[in-house]
Amino acid sequence: MSKFQGLDAYTRRARYELLPFKFDRLEGDNYIITNMTGEYLEVAMPELHVLLAKDLATEHPLFASLRAKHFIRYADEQAPLDLLALKLRTRLSRLTGFTSLHIFVVTLRCDHSCPYCQVSRQMDGETSFDMTPDMADKALDFVFRSPNPAIKIEFQGGEPLLNFQMVRYVVKAAKRRNLDEKRDLEFVIATTLSLLTDEVLAFCYEHDIILSTSLDGPADLHNANRPRVGRDSFERFEAGLAKARNVLGVDRVSALMTTTDKSLPRVREIIDEYVRLGFNGIFLRALSPYGFAIKTRKFMTYDTERWLEFYKEGLAYILELNKAGIPFVEHYASLILKKMLTSNDPGYVDLMNPAGAGIAAIVFNYDGSVYASDESRMLAEMGDQTFRLGSILTDSYEDIILSDVLLDALEQSFTLSAPMCSDCAFEPYCGAEPVFHHAIFRDVLGRKAESSFCKRNMSIFKHLIGLMKSDVSTRHLFMQWANAC
Amino acid sequence: MAGLAELIFDSQLYGAEAIQKAAYRAMHAFTLDLKVDGDNILCKLIGNITTEHAAFERAVEEFRKDVLDYQLRAQLQAETAPIRNLIIGLAFSNARLNPSE
Repeated sequence: MSKFQGLDAYTRRARYELLPFKFDRLEGDNYIITNMTGEYLEVAMPELHVLLAKDLATEHPLFASLRAKHFIRYADEQAPLDLLALKLRTRLSRLTGFTSLHIFVVTLRCDHSCPYCQVSRQMDGETSFDMTPDMADKALDFVFRSPNPAIKIEFQGGEPLLNFQMVRYVVKAAKRRNLDEKRDLEFVIATTLSLLTDEVLAFCYEHDIILSTSLDGPADLHNANRPRVGRDSFERFEAGLAKARNVLGVDRVSALMTTTDKSLPRVREIIDEYVRLGFNGIFLRALSPYGFAIKTRKFMTYDTERWLEFYKEGLAYILELNKAGIPFVEHYASLILKKMLTSNDPGYVDLMNPAGAGIAAIVFNYDGSVYASDESRMLAEMGDQTFRLGSILTDSYEDIILSDVLLDALEQSFTLSAPMCSDCAFEPYCGAEPVFHHAIFRDVLGRKAESSFCKRNMSIFKHLIGLMKSDVSTRHLFMQWANAC
Repeated sequence: MAGLAELIFDSQLYGAEAIQKAAYRAMHAFTLDLKVDGDNILCKLIGNITTEHAAFERAVEEFRKDVLDYQLRAQLQAETAPIRNLIIGLAFSNARLNPSE
């Protein structure tokens, strides 16, 4: 007689229980199911109905995956609950840190006059649009009230290098304060590089400052998108990039692109330009409905469908490059994949719930106004002060952070209680985006059925899932993107 | 008007909330007039001015699927609500939100 019991002895007789999950249709009769922490499985409609009726056989190929990903459990099992709680806590842990990104708009002056610019630029000799030392000091008081152990100060404009003395002032003052505060302090300058000098670079090197710049594609496209006197935006960018990398290091300069109607037929060329210039990735962004983009009607020059075609063509080309041995990342996809394939939240403000406005990032404008996000101040420049939280000159930290303007926006846009979003299987990957929806619908919640934000993101979520299903090597590549530091 | 459709759901099988949620999801294509008549829920789907006929037909088909989906979601949510609350409780009980703890 065997000393071991047969396999039958280990087969559970009890029926399984359902754990909380959501489902949505993908293509045809296929559904995606997601649990509370964003883990997902794809199931066919008949399987979903059997699963919900708790009639799925233990031998069914899905059964083990459903248990492993915490969609079902046996009633006496505690581990699935503990693991879900742990993953949920991990996912939300960023919230306890509170505001990390602090944007200083040191000037509205700019040497470019881009028609899609999200900020209302001013002439480059007009110093009344500069931040003053008094404002900067008060903004720094505010910055160090944040409990976050990691503080990022990003200088924006206009062109921040046109008020570089203020950049110097803030960096030095922040570092002095940090001798006592001992935060993980990081500085970024968002610049076109057109006014980059050796003096600026020496300061950046000394203070370990990162440069975040803009590249819209090949020279003709970049120059058409970014006009400046001399029509030499690209040439200045390329020369500045080489100089900056030489002094600061290749990984200390990143670039963002903006998609205009001129970009749409040229996604491969745009990506090729990023590859040629030695970037390891690109962020294929849609045009935002703020600032000059609306005033000049640039925002209306292409629709979501067309942008999605552009995005998907670009992503397909990036996958081709990777398969040909050229490592290259699409950053928006990698942010979403981190949410899909790990328990971490990348902290990207547009895809946060509660919204990242104010509590993940906050903006100090050149005039002392405090805004809930970069997009909020762009709206303000167009005359809509909805998301102006107060002034650093007259209001306290508590006045601003606990203001009804901020709390109402966060509460009313919260996706877990929003119509459509609260039932949506893609909700764990998505965000609240109250400022975008206010800009379009004059309502922080917005009507998601008519929202281009919803349409764009749902389409990308489904597309990424489809790509992972269709090709194992793509899935492996996406796993790398999701888990990259 | 681009389209008009009338549907009847049995109130023993479908909740008005499931129908309302499905209609909300379809508001880009049509609006809904809802009436309860005894055991029946009467739905009049009125196409938006901008909705072309073929798009309206597709939206009505999607709506019928969505009603079933939302009904199933409601049942799933009701069944799993206690466990969901337990998991959230477990998650936040160890969050150390108060630094003095």
